[in-house]
Amino acid sequence: MERNEFQKVWKAFEIIAIGCVLLGILLVLYLIRGLLTPFIIAFVVTFFLNPVVDYMEGEGINRTFAVLLLIILTLIFLFILWKLTWPTIQTEISSFQKNAPFYESKIREGLNHAMELLEKKTVFIPEGVLQRAMQHKINDLTSTMGDVGSLFQIVRGFVVTFVLIQVIAFFLLKDGRRIKKVLIAYVPNKYFETFLTLLHEIDQQISNYIRGQFTDALIIGVLAIIGLYLFGIRYAISIGAIAGIANIVPYIGPLLGMTFGALLMFIDTGSIMDVFKVVGVLAFVKSLDSIAISPLVVGRSVNVHPLMIIIVISLGGLLHGVWGMLLSVPLYCSMRVSLRILYRGFVEYGNW
Amino acid sequence: MIPVLRTVPLFEGLTFRDLKKIELIVHERTFMPDEVVFYERQPGTGMYVVKKGLIQLTKTINEENVKIAELGEGEFFGEMSLLEGYPRSAQATAVIKTEALGIFRPDLFDLIERNPRLGSKILMKLSQRLASRLRKTTEMKLKEVV
Repeated sequence: MERNEFQKVWKAFEIIAIGCVLLGILLVLYLIRGLLTPFIIAFVVTFFLNPVVDYMEGEGINRTFAVLLLIILTLIFLFILWKLTWPTIQTEISSFQKNAPFYESKIREGLNHAMELLEKKTVFIPEGVLQRAMQHKINDLTSTMGDVGSLFQIVRGFVVTFVLIQVIAFFLLKDGRRIKKVLIAYVPNKYFETFLTLLHEIDQQISNYIRGQFTDALIIGVLAIIGLYLFGIRYAISIGAIAGIANIVPYIGPLLGMTFGALLMFIDTGSIMDVFKVVGVLAFVKSLDSIAISPLVVGRSVNVHPLMIIIVISLGGLLHGVWGMLLSVPLYCSMRVSLRILYRGFVEYGNW
Repeated sequence: MIPVLRTVPLFEGLTFRDLKKIELIVHERTFMPDEVVFYERQPGTGMYVVKKGLIQLTKTINEENVKIAELGEGEFFGEMSLLEGYPRSAQATAVIKTEALGIFRPDLFDLIERNPRLGSKILMKLSQRLASRLRKTTEMKLKEVV
């Protein structure tokens, strides 16, 4: 009886200790979140390229050589892409930079007019309150957006980060399995099998999701750029690229990409026809994606109800902005699969 | 680790290069005396090869723990779990301090996907072992009936 009591207390202590370790890891990750970006991108690159390296290894090519070859080929491809698209991107950025004050005054003017109308129609709102609040928000926005020149600095900073990402991705692709093996060696025997299964399932969920979403986003971005370019839209590359990137966030992303493109066109040219062109091209590409591309590329990669995905993404966005929206679905899937395996292992089979 | 892997019938006839690939999915675990490797009815994930030490397999029959086997160096157990995740049919406990090599289903399936040629060799050996066990069980049952 006493032994049973002791075992119960010991198990409770074990649960608390595991919880504390997990919380500690989360806390450390939160504290060093500023340094995590190149690692997160390198992980995404690794998830994306891993199947290719695995295939090459299966064909008898040495893994280190396969990784090196793949990274060199990727760099050559990116260099050619950069050479081909940079002059257009530069023109688009310069044009945006030149027109920024004009866009700002147009947004200010339009919103002021809307607030004035609203204040007139709503008796209980004192005159000027909404306009002042809106002015405050616009000033905040323009201080962030106004320094478009910093985009060049971001690109320069990206080159440094880019090298770091390549180095991290190289080692993750080459020694990923060895690193994983060394890390899980510290898991106690009692939890080892459960932990290994858990890790495998999470890895599957995240890699399927990342591979699917990124391939889909890439195809959408390229198709949108081609479509917008054919319709003679001025910011074809920027709008197309943003639409593609936004598509990484399911359901909400495509809407955001479309809204951005339509707003930019409306402010830039003021022509409803141009807005229709942008919305039309992006809607057509999205429909094509839903019918033909997505089922093939993404498939049933995560198998989560659309409503749940929208709730999870909204929560992610609320808690951690863009990163929150991007990471919320794979995190949700990981938590779901973890709970399923833990429930099966510890509760259903009575090994708790 | 390679010399131990060479002794496992599942990896018989494999080249040094193949064994190096298998080494990457092998996990070295150390069990203290009386430590349970896995419980009966626990969902199985893989097999273990005894590198050093002694493992006792027991089964609960009529609420009593019955010893069914004792496995020493080079012997292995739990290989059925490499194919499916059904509950373990027996409990494995370390009798003395034991070092074991664990090979688990998720890693093995990954290896098969990455390297189908090597995978098919391992699966063939596993099938032969299971077929031989099935034949023995059938013969035993037949003897009981006759």
